[in-house]
Amino acid sequence: MISPAKGLTHLMNILVCLKQILDPELPSRDFRIDAAGRDADRNTAGLVMNIFCANALETALQFREKHGGKITVITFGVPSAEEILRKALALRVDSAVLIRSDLSQRPNPWCIARVLAAAIRKLGDFDLVLTGRESGDWGDGQTGALLAEELGRPCVSLADELKADTVNTALVRIRRQTDQGWEALEASTPLVITVTNNEHNVPRIAKTRDVMQAFRQPLTTWSLAELGVDAQSISEDLACTEVVELAIPIKQTHCEWVTGETLDDRISLLAKRIATVVQSA
Amino acid sequence: MWLAPAAQVENKVIAFRLLPTFYKGSSLTSVVVSCIFGWTGIDRAALGVLGAGQRLSRDLAYKHVGLIVGPASDALIAEATKFSDSIAVADHPLLDSYHSETTLTALTEVCKQLNPKAVLLGNDTYCQELVPRLAHRLGGSAAGDALKLSGRNETVLVTRSVYGGKAQATIKLSRAPAILWVRARAQEPAQQQALTTDLTRLTLTLEPNTKIKLVDRQTEMQGTARLEDARVIVSGGRGLGGSEPFTQLRALAEIMGGQMAASRAACDAGWVPAEWQVGQTGKKVSPQLYLAIAISGASQHIMGIADAKTIAAINLDPDAPIFQHCQFGLVEDYRQVVGPLREKLIELLA
Amino acid sequence: MNGEHATREVFWNVSQVWVMYVLLIPTMLVAGYGIYRRFRTWRRGRPEQRFDQPWVRIQFLFRHAVVQQATWQKRFAGFFHALIFWGMVNLTVATTVVLVHHDFGLPIMQGQFYLWFQSLTVDIFGALTILGLSLAAVRRWTSPSMPLVHSWEASMILILLLTILFSGFLLEGWRIAATNDPWGMWSPFGYVIAMASLSWMSIPAMQWTHAVTWWFHMGLVFGFLAWAPYTKLLHPLTAVLNLYTAPLSPIGGSLHAIDFDKNESLGVNALSSFTWKDLLDLDACTECGRCTAVCPANAVGKLLSPRDLILDLRHLSRTQDDFSKPIIDATPALSPEALWACTTCGACVESCPVSIAQMPKIVDMRRHLAMEEAVLPDTMEKAIGSLEARGHPYAGTQFSRLDWMKGLEVPQRADIQECDVLLWVGCGGALVERNQRVTRAMAQLLDKAGVNYAVLGREERCTGDPARRMGNEFLFQKLAGENIATLQRYQVKTVVTACPHCFNTLRNEYPELGGNFEVLHHSQFLERLVSEGKLSPKAQSEAKVTFHDPCYLGRQNNIFDAPRQLVQISVRPASVEMEKSREKSFCCGGGGGMSFVDEPANQRVNQERARQVLETGADVVAVGCPFCMTMLEDGVNAVRSSDPSTRPTKVLDVAELLWDSVRDQSTTF
Repeated sequence: MISPAKGLTHLMNILVCLKQILDPELPSRDFRIDAAGRDADRNTAGLVMNIFCANALETALQFREKHGGKITVITFGVPSAEEILRKALALRVDSAVLIRSDLSQRPNPWCIARVLAAAIRKLGDFDLVLTGRESGDWGDGQTGALLAEELGRPCVSLADELKADTVNTALVRIRRQTDQGWEALEASTPLVITVTNNEHNVPRIAKTRDVMQAFRQPLTTWSLAELGVDAQSISEDLACTEVVELAIPIKQTHCEWVTGETLDDRISLLAKRIATVVQSA
Repeated sequence: MWLAPAAQVENKVIAFRLLPTFYKGSSLTSVVVSCIFGWTGIDRAALGVLGAGQRLSRDLAYKHVGLIVGPASDALIAEATKFSDSIAVADHPLLDSYHSETTLTALTEVCKQLNPKAVLLGNDTYCQELVPRLAHRLGGSAAGDALKLSGRNETVLVTRSVYGGKAQATIKLSRAPAILWVRARAQEPAQQQALTTDLTRLTLTLEPNTKIKLVDRQTEMQGTARLEDARVIVSGGRGLGGSEPFTQLRALAEIMGGQMAASRAACDAGWVPAEWQVGQTGKKVSPQLYLAIAISGASQHIMGIADAKTIAAINLDPDAPIFQHCQFGLVEDYRQVVGPLREKLIELLA
Repeated sequence: MNGEHATREVFWNVSQVWVMYVLLIPTMLVAGYGIYRRFRTWRRGRPEQRFDQPWVRIQFLFRHAVVQQATWQKRFAGFFHALIFWGMVNLTVATTVVLVHHDFGLPIMQGQFYLWFQSLTVDIFGALTILGLSLAAVRRWTSPSMPLVHSWEASMILILLLTILFSGFLLEGWRIAATNDPWGMWSPFGYVIAMASLSWMSIPAMQWTHAVTWWFHMGLVFGFLAWAPYTKLLHPLTAVLNLYTAPLSPIGGSLHAIDFDKNESLGVNALSSFTWKDLLDLDACTECGRCTAVCPANAVGKLLSPRDLILDLRHLSRTQDDFSKPIIDATPALSPEALWACTTCGACVESCPVSIAQMPKIVDMRRHLAMEEAVLPDTMEKAIGSLEARGHPYAGTQFSRLDWMKGLEVPQRADIQECDVLLWVGCGGALVERNQRVTRAMAQLLDKAGVNYAVLGREERCTGDPARRMGNEFLFQKLAGENIATLQRYQVKTVVTACPHCFNTLRNEYPELGGNFEVLHHSQFLERLVSEGKLSPKAQSEAKVTFHDPCYLGRQNNIFDAPRQLVQISVRPASVEMEKSREKSFCCGGGGGMSFVDEPANQRVNQERARQVLETGADVVAVGCPFCMTMLEDGVNAVRSSDPSTRPTKVLDVAELLWDSVRDQSTTF
């Protein structure tokens, strides 16, 4: 908990939702599909914190540095997801919650949003709930928005900058990316925000002392039963989307190398090929 | 409800039938809705959405409704009549420009009236944020970034790239309505069909949203057209090492009438604005020529250029993955190439 | 005359000698305080064991202090330094003889000893000292600023010493002349002065001037003795101490592990975090500047200067009373920018005549930046992040650890019962396309030689070398622990690797963490296979080859000959040496995590080394390191693209050269 900046009396209570995913840097040729053909095979790949979740966490940390507040991180996943919570603890978040998944299949965003919403109701009031814009595995980009609906709160998506209002403590100023540029918004809390990356929220690295400390910090762990999420709605959620096929696309492009005796020859040839394409375009 | 004061516009554009038949008696006919926004009009992306809607409705043997949300000029309505079986218009003073919460409320209300089996939107950032929330409010299901759509046995199947382009998934949306955003420019544009005269104006009760207030909106950062519409794109990556070389690339792009883009690494480094980013989490572009300079070509970047007609690359590393996606490539330090290449192109394109 | 009675009167012409004894007290006090002050400083450092193996240390001290092995590396400076050093040693002995003879009442200053040593030898050495000092003065006052520090102090020392020596000769000459010393000819230089003086001075004049000059000389000597501990002339004491307590490990083993269970400071950002030996290092510095002169980062115009780093630290240690104050960024030489420019090549450490450990201090300060502040250059951060998540530093690679073996049958340790040798592939050897070819050559050579070997495959992790040298000791120990566990689980005895960084870490750094294996660089192992007749190369290539010593193989582990012999075995013409080779090899620029950093275009170490390679006119530059491979290839390409007339020099690993001469194909370069 960081005390408020001068002039601010209300401390924002921030929740950042995190997801552990298959390392997106797994080389394509190591990528395998599981026997059922419904998901990626974990195989030898590592698990990492989803990059946009890391951007969201960084945004929250910067917000807390500037304006004070309290940050809780939460994840819904298999026991190994504890690793990303420890990573967040090493960045000095105030508390961490792990909701253990005992589901037999990969939860879809509907299911995740329902579980997170139940946890949020149990944890108490958050002024801001932050998620990443999408995950680097299935890339649905729905969890944040669905969570807003579950909680009945407004949602701002693709935010890349977050500031407190200096006068109205229930107000935040958000910059969000759009196709052609950006928008500046003023939004009242409570609020759900999905965060995208920009040059200001590149995730920081943890101090070693904090990394060591993080392993000793307490962690709240809940099962779905403890959250009181009813199994019926979960299975309805899971049934609403079904992966019928998962395949690795075959690429057939053959690159023709631009060759030539001298560099000048090669550039001339390249220029000709480019000009041909441009003129036919 | 959907009282249609068509008489007001009757003489201006075209003769509309009063009260479209298929709405009568609730769900006699199921519908697919393609959503067009008044503030964008019918551009290439909207044609893609309408095209996808046409094909999906044909697959499912449903009716195809073109829905115009926001300011609907007569010209826009006239244009829209070419691509769907009927037109619905949801206009309201509060929909003059985009506001996430207001637009979502409007869409929800409209969809409750139209009771569609599927709703299609484009892939701009506005559509992307509306889709899951709309699905939630309608008790349906959602999918995004649809490359291919098909309908079978009253359900919608969506093909989309997952795992950073390493795999393609086909997903069945079992709970109706299926709310989708499609990779609009990658879709075949809509075919003209017999002009529809079936127009419905929907009435909406909207209240201004006070929770989220738009303070400023900055558009057209590049001062030119949208990157997604560009015919030629020159793109730079981490290998450029800084923002300075991008001015050289821009000079190169300009003589080809092209636009600038960048890899995520270059945007994250702050060398260029985030709007330039092409890739899984950036823009999906489909130019005639995509010239990648000092971009290694991680699969996440390739996802954004999968629809480009011709990809060419200049990279020092012959093993850079970008070359696996190129039609032609030059292994060279870009510093040696960009300047002379521009000179030569000036001659060739003169 | 009979030499048995030869001697001289000690004070002869000088009266009131007691004044000298009285003056000696303040002199000793002042000098003593000067030394005590330093000693007190060293005691403020953390403990460190540096007094083990005394016999080894004495031998080391003999080589460096008495023979001055390192100082001689620079011929001219080594020459005059030896003259001064040996001269001063002789003069000190002579003074001690006088002391024993006169004050302790042991009449040793007589007879043959007096004539041969006290007169002739000392006289000659005195003259040689003057010669040495004069040469030093010429160099100091004529040479450009690098590598010397042009200070008032340095000039003053030279002037003072020259004055003392000249006045000493004058005193000797006048005494010989005035006493008509029958043994005067035994002091030839003194005798010349005696003869010259007799020609124009009267005896009483000489007596009078002698008396005055004697007090002047004595005053200067005492003054000098009192002042010396406050100048760089403390080094006769500190250098000896520093050499005796020098690290006994090769440079590659000079980083110390942090015990994370104790609440130590993680790295250094205060003088108090240094050990006493680090602080002694600072006082041992003679300001000779060799370290900066050989620093590759400095050579390409970066801010790093090991000499200035040491001198600035010394200045802080003498002017700051509070040793807990931050030192990083206190001066430009201590700025993060300078610290992050280091390739950890160890050239500074190797060049230092008094065994100062500059590079380990840089790593110590990097540790603070990386672990306490968690602020690294962006690209290094990416490499560290990748090491954490994937166990290799190549963020974004499209290769897996098995891709290099496509088409070969390479046994993986997990699949077989046992093996004699474990081939440690390394991240560079597995994940960088160019180096995959080296690994393939290596595997094929081992196959051909019938070696029962295996690789760890996916179970291999980075040894931790880049993490450690980028300052993340915590990550290093984590990776090392995982690797040691894997190697022990497979009961590995012998490890062979083509990466000198892996080699160094496995060999010098894992034992401290409990991993003891026989570790060989592939050049050593291949050379052994050839000499045992298991490989029979046919040297057919006519390529002119020059060998580039990898820092972590050569300078840091003293392996110079094995790779050279492989080159000799593999090609017909004799190889050529670069000007900077063996211990003096110039870094490729890739060590210490620097291969993960985009250097400014005009400050690239690899291009500097590439130019040195191209100067030899070689067809091939042979390397024995995956980092050198890529850095030099890039360097040669860059130099050639700006000057296409330069020779198309290829970069090949020694294993590739050998494989080309072993397999049944004619070599093509």
